[in-house]
Amino acid sequence: MSDNEVTLTIDGKSVTVPKGTKLVDAAKRVDVEIPVFCYHEKIGALGCCRMCLVEVEKMPKLMTACTMDVMPDMVVKTTTEKVEKAQKGVLEFTLLNHPLDCPVCDKGGECPLQDNVFKHGSPDTRMEFHRHNNAKATALSPVITIDRERCIACQRCTAYSERIEQDRGLVMLNRGFHNEVGTFNNEPYDNRFSGNVIDICPVGALTNTDFRFKARTWDLTNVETLCAHCGCNCNITMGTRLNELMRVEARPNDAVDDGWICDKARWGHQFVHSENKISIARENSVGDGKPTSFPVLPHDCAGEDAAGKAAEAFKKIAEEHGPQSVGFIGSPYATNEENYLYQKLFRLGLGSNNIDHKVYQDTPGLPVSHYDVEQIETSNVVLLIASDPTEELPILDLRIKKAVTHGGTRLVSLNDQTIALDKYSTQSVQYKVGGEALAIDALTNGLARELGESASAQGDSGISADDMKSLVETVRSSMKICVVYNPSALSGEAVSGVKRLLKMIAKVPTMECGAIPAAPMTNAVGAMDMGLLPDFYPGGVPMSDEEEIKKQWGENAPTATGLSALEMIARAEKGELKALLVHRSNPVMDFPGGAQVTEALKKLDLLVVHDMLETETAKLANLVLPSNGPGYDEGTTTNIGGRVQARRKALQADQAPDWKIISLMLNVLGDETDYGKVSDVTEEIARKVSGYQQISRRSVGKTGCNRDSVISADEQASAKPVQAGTNGSLRLRIATFLFAEDKVLDASSKLAHHFQSSTAHFNEEDAGRLGIQDGNTVLLSAENVNLEATAKVDNRCQPGGVVVPRVSDGQRVNGLISADGNTAWVEVRKV
Amino acid sequence: MSGFIFSEKQEKEVARIIAKYPFKKSAMLPLLTLVQRDERVVSPDAMVAISKKLDCSPAYVQSVMSFYTMYHTEKVGKYMILFCINISCQLNGCDKLLEHTAKKLGIKVGETTGDEKFTLHREECLADCTRAPMMRVNDTYYGDLTEQRIDQVLDSLD
Amino acid sequence: MTQILFKNINAKDLHTLKVYEEQGGYQSLKKAFARKPEEIIEMVKASGLRGRGGAGFPAGLKWSFLAKNVFPRYLCCNADESEPGTCKDRELLLKNPHMLIEGMILCSYACQIETGYIYMRGEFHDLSFIMDKALEEAHAKGYLGKNILGSGFNLDIHTHLGAGAYICGEESALLNSLEGGRGEPRMKPPFPAVEGLYAKPTVINNVETLCVVPYIVNEGAEKYAALGTEKSKGTKLVSVSGHVKKPGNYEVVLGTPTREIIYDLAGGIRDGNKLKAFIPGGSSTPMLPADKVDVGYDYEAIAEAGSMLGSGALIVIDDSVNIVETTLRLISFYMHESCGKCTPCREGTRWLYQIVERIMQNKGQLEYIDKLEDICGNMAMKTFCPLADACVSPVVSSIKHFRSDYEEYFKKIPVSSV
Ligand SMILES: Cc1cc2nc3c(=O)[nH]c(=O)nc-3n(C[C@H](O)[C@H](O)[C@H](O)COP(=O)(O)O)c2cc1C
Ligand code: SF4
Ligand code: FES
Repeated sequence: MSDNEVTLTIDGKSVTVPKGTKLVDAAKRVDVEIPVFCYHEKIGALGCCRMCLVEVEKMPKLMTACTMDVMPDMVVKTTTEKVEKAQKGVLEFTLLNHPLDCPVCDKGGECPLQDNVFKHGSPDTRMEFHRHNNAKATALSPVITIDRERCIACQRCTAYSERIEQDRGLVMLNRGFHNEVGTFNNEPYDNRFSGNVIDICPVGALTNTDFRFKARTWDLTNVETLCAHCGCNCNITMGTRLNELMRVEARPNDAVDDGWICDKARWGHQFVHSENKISIARENSVGDGKPTSFPVLPHDCAGEDAAGKAAEAFKKIAEEHGPQSVGFIGSPYATNEENYLYQKLFRLGLGSNNIDHKVYQDTPGLPVSHYDVEQIETSNVVLLIASDPTEELPILDLRIKKAVTHGGTRLVSLNDQTIALDKYSTQSVQYKVGGEALAIDALTNGLARELGESASAQGDSGISADDMKSLVETVRSSMKICVVYNPSALSGEAVSGVKRLLKMIAKVPTMECGAIPAAPMTNAVGAMDMGLLPDFYPGGVPMSDEEEIKKQWGENAPTATGLSALEMIARAEKGELKALLVHRSNPVMDFPGGAQVTEALKKLDLLVVHDMLETETAKLANLVLPSNGPGYDEGTTTNIGGRVQARRKALQADQAPDWKIISLMLNVLGDETDYGKVSDVTEEIARKVSGYQQISRRSVGKTGCNRDSVISADEQASAKPVQAGTNGSLRLRIATFLFAEDKVLDASSKLAHHFQSSTAHFNEEDAGRLGIQDGNTVLLSAENVNLEATAKVDNRCQPGGVVVPRVSDGQRVNGLISADGNTAWVEVRKV
Repeated sequence: MSGFIFSEKQEKEVARIIAKYPFKKSAMLPLLTLVQRDERVVSPDAMVAISKKLDCSPAYVQSVMSFYTMYHTEKVGKYMILFCINISCQLNGCDKLLEHTAKKLGIKVGETTGDEKFTLHREECLADCTRAPMMRVNDTYYGDLTEQRIDQVLDSLD
Repeated sequence: MTQILFKNINAKDLHTLKVYEEQGGYQSLKKAFARKPEEIIEMVKASGLRGRGGAGFPAGLKWSFLAKNVFPRYLCCNADESEPGTCKDRELLLKNPHMLIEGMILCSYACQIETGYIYMRGEFHDLSFIMDKALEEAHAKGYLGKNILGSGFNLDIHTHLGAGAYICGEESALLNSLEGGRGEPRMKPPFPAVEGLYAKPTVINNVETLCVVPYIVNEGAEKYAALGTEKSKGTKLVSVSGHVKKPGNYEVVLGTPTREIIYDLAGGIRDGNKLKAFIPGGSSTPMLPADKVDVGYDYEAIAEAGSMLGSGALIVIDDSVNIVETTLRLISFYMHESCGKCTPCREGTRWLYQIVERIMQNKGQLEYIDKLEDICGNMAMKTFCPLADACVSPVVSSIKHFRSDYEEYFKKIPVSSV
């Protein structure tokens, strides 16, 4: 036994636990269940409800097991007469003014109060006065209902707001018997994480407005699956009834979400039953009205049949025009299995490396360990590069706040915009919009100098020498650092710069260094790993490694670097790319280049879109294949921390799952593998993709399994100076906004109250020059796209830049970027 | 938009108060007291103003202010009468005197007179028990009360 | 009569620095600065001074518990004085603010503290003006501020006002309140000496406790320890209120028979009535019947008699009163002051109130008495802080000693409703 462990006896059972463990938690280890209301492992001790009283030898009073740290040789008894009497007493007090409306309470059947009364309470009440009538159900927010009369004032929810969310939106008001849970001036309690209070309320006081009275909890079929909104891949339980999704709850997994989910996970699921769902394969007539080079489909054709025809069509075009004439734009939202099969289909079935899933630069793998999110808590420094977790990866925001406030981790942010987490950082360093590559190189060079290595000269990133110096010092002296960077917010070659930086940090003696590539998209890491890239095979194998490629994939595997997504669009425009398959992606809306994208896609001989919701791109397709999407999907995804977990299906679809459709296409193209179940694909991934050897249905289980770090190939390119814009124009930074109104969160969403209108954030200097004031309407234009926005002069970025959060599809904000994806200079004019 | 702005004089006082503490949140009660004394009420707007000064959520300000009995969300009279009804005063007949006071002012306990001059509150022990029965009118303690003395005190206030 | 705290209490303008100095004020500082801080702590230990705020914990010992080598440290003077019946701190603050400042300087020097706060209940706004003035004077004279009297020791003291909450007298609730929060008590451990104000080591002492320190430093620990009984040393201020002829704050040597305090100092029971009961140490302490009136007024003797010395508020009740009335008023107080954080206190105080109120409306039943005792049993020692115990105390003691007062109400029950 180490110094950090304590051995004690609970109800005659000896248990050894780490120092600092609370008695309640120690008891659980030996299956002694001490009843609680207010205690929650993740929130910490409160000592409010007094339900957990136990007898501790040599202590005169009964002690609360939730507040008490274990001590060596402690002897604890939880079932003595004295304890039972106290428990009865406390329950009597608790129920004194609690309505006995269990039959109509949403918590019925899963209510800790009910359970505790059943186990420890007395069957009848001695209360003979009128119960205090507190307010019945009222709206706490558009999505949460509060029944104040059921509240037992345990303070879990308010402590959650204080300690976990840390914005103290939900508070205890008044005093004593008049205590009540509330908000400032009765305003809604409405933020990114509000729904968690529903899960933690031990009675039916806080309930899900959407779920109220919809079903009894015991009638639900609960499926343990994953949220598909962002790269955190939080664990959730989907409760369904008669093939309808009734509710989503958190399913605690320390390695991923620490027990919390964001409100988008909980309420952003209307899309599973959306009217816009693509439920059947269909043929469109586009252009001159005739589907070109495509065999005609029968009416109401099933996805499988349509897939076969699509495969044949692609094969024909590839044979006629060469493999370079076909391409695939995949999705960072799709599962590993789907992505794996699609790349296999294009590479081995059609001989093309024209495969991609993104419009920014990135390469698979890291030169240092790929940290999982738990490592954040044990790091001395977390360095955020171009990352805004609050909007992009909300649960990561909670993890970072926890590390900073409870664990003594220091947060440092390097970004071109201010972010919500700046409040928690010891240093926030801002570079000019577009200056990331230079800023990152400057940091690398600073470290190099400290380490006595040569460092090249550099351009101006907008960071002062002092700021850079102290940043270098913080990083150098950090002992253990976790670098969290968002590749999708880095322009140009900056991502190579990050990898050089990581290598340099790793050179600091006694430094432990790891990184988390934190792109917001659900399976961005998986898409990279699965080789949805023009220049890498799965597992980060570069095209240059022919030997390895031939060994793994056979002699015929193509080794010429393919086209990137943006290049495919450009070639389509020139008529050189003839056929394109788009899986769960919407280039028309999300790609740079404005109207050019549409024009390019229209020129294709064949456009197949395989997606779950109607999109602008699907409208242009010759053939649309149905994809069932989250809720129906099965397979695995890899989160930002490299953890592979199972996305299980909670709902039955009419259509074949995506992986099945793709495997049918593969068969048509001559692949003879018979994938009977999705796990057959998973097993093939384990055999073929380096880093995934350990992954199997079994190893992934309920809580997932980390894949091994993927080592990156060498990075070459170095930063070029920031390109200047035309006279007076500003460099655009598109920021993520969690509750954007798009295909997934449409107007019918329960979260529609979060939607925002367009805003453009300026630095005072530019605003002054352009005569713009807070609240003015401005017009941003580039690439023949115009965007109207309300100006906010809040110095969110340095002079010369403008930050526009992507708040809706309607904005078409990505259209402001030039088609090559590099330049984003916008003209700004007051209207 | 916030309808409450600290006056120039108040701003000075706010700065002086905040300077007393290593962490500004400690200025919470003093700032609430400042507002209550100057405005005779703490309005939601004032809570927002305080939350900005102290860098916390307005909900937190309200949570704190609603815990204490000396802050009011409805404007109180020019004179706040806290009438002690706790044990030593009870033993000395405060209940009758309180009744008398309420009658004299023509209001019920807890109310404010129509001219906003007096607010009458029942109060727990004010720590002047050796002079029971007693009351506090604004900052001043009055002990050894009788009906005549109460009349005299209240009549002398303008 | 030995008078330490009240020696010159009625001297004209004692609250001014000039008069205070004329009476020998601030002499202790030079003596203290000539010694090492630890020596002062040892002196206070040796004097046997116990906390006068209610719990009676030895002051010197408390100071010696401060977490070693952790700075800054803070001193909080507890001037919340809210325990019903208690009004001694008010008199000290009103008439002799410099004595407290002197005591706080000594304590801070002993404990190496550079910042002190005087937490006064909000209703003491008038006193805060007096105190602020006194602090200003002391500062101007060099008793506060940087390098006090050339000793190299620095100290600033500030007043801080509460805003109406009895619970803020409880030391950890006081800290929360001083940090700008709700006055809910904190979990212990950690104790304030380890993690107190702003999570730093903190000394919290009552006004009276701190006011004694100048005497100890001036006159020596032995002289103080020579007063009182074996374990209850020195003098104590007693606030005598209720049905006595001369209510007032009196300073008595610990161990003085309670009878002497009631009958000699306070002039005995008024209106020709007889003593029925007395609450020896403030409303939280169990009441005692008249036949215990000879109990020595010290910690041990009163404990033996079944109550506590508490804050030294002696509330005298004559035989014109039905004790149930008094009990209900006290329950009502604790119900009103419960912070609401923990269930047995929040719910229990109200339930007790409802039951006793019903008894007083002649609607009770005899079983109510057992029920009251049982509920009290479910509350006592099971709550987050001692406030619920304080509420239980008048109920349990009134049933124990004055059961017949309850029974009177049942006699009045109309036959039909039984
Ligand atoms: C409910 C409650 C109320 C209290 N009120 C006061 C008070 O008003 N004044 C005071 O000095 N101590 C009060 N105390 C005692 C303090 O918690 C603390 O013990 C005291 O301030 C320590 O100072 P001392 O050691 O000098 O007595 C109270 C304790 C409790 C549990
Ligand atoms: S609403 Fe629920 S979680 Fe919040 S205090 Fe009441 S019972 Fe506890
Ligand atoms: S669970 Fe221990 S006091 Fe609530």
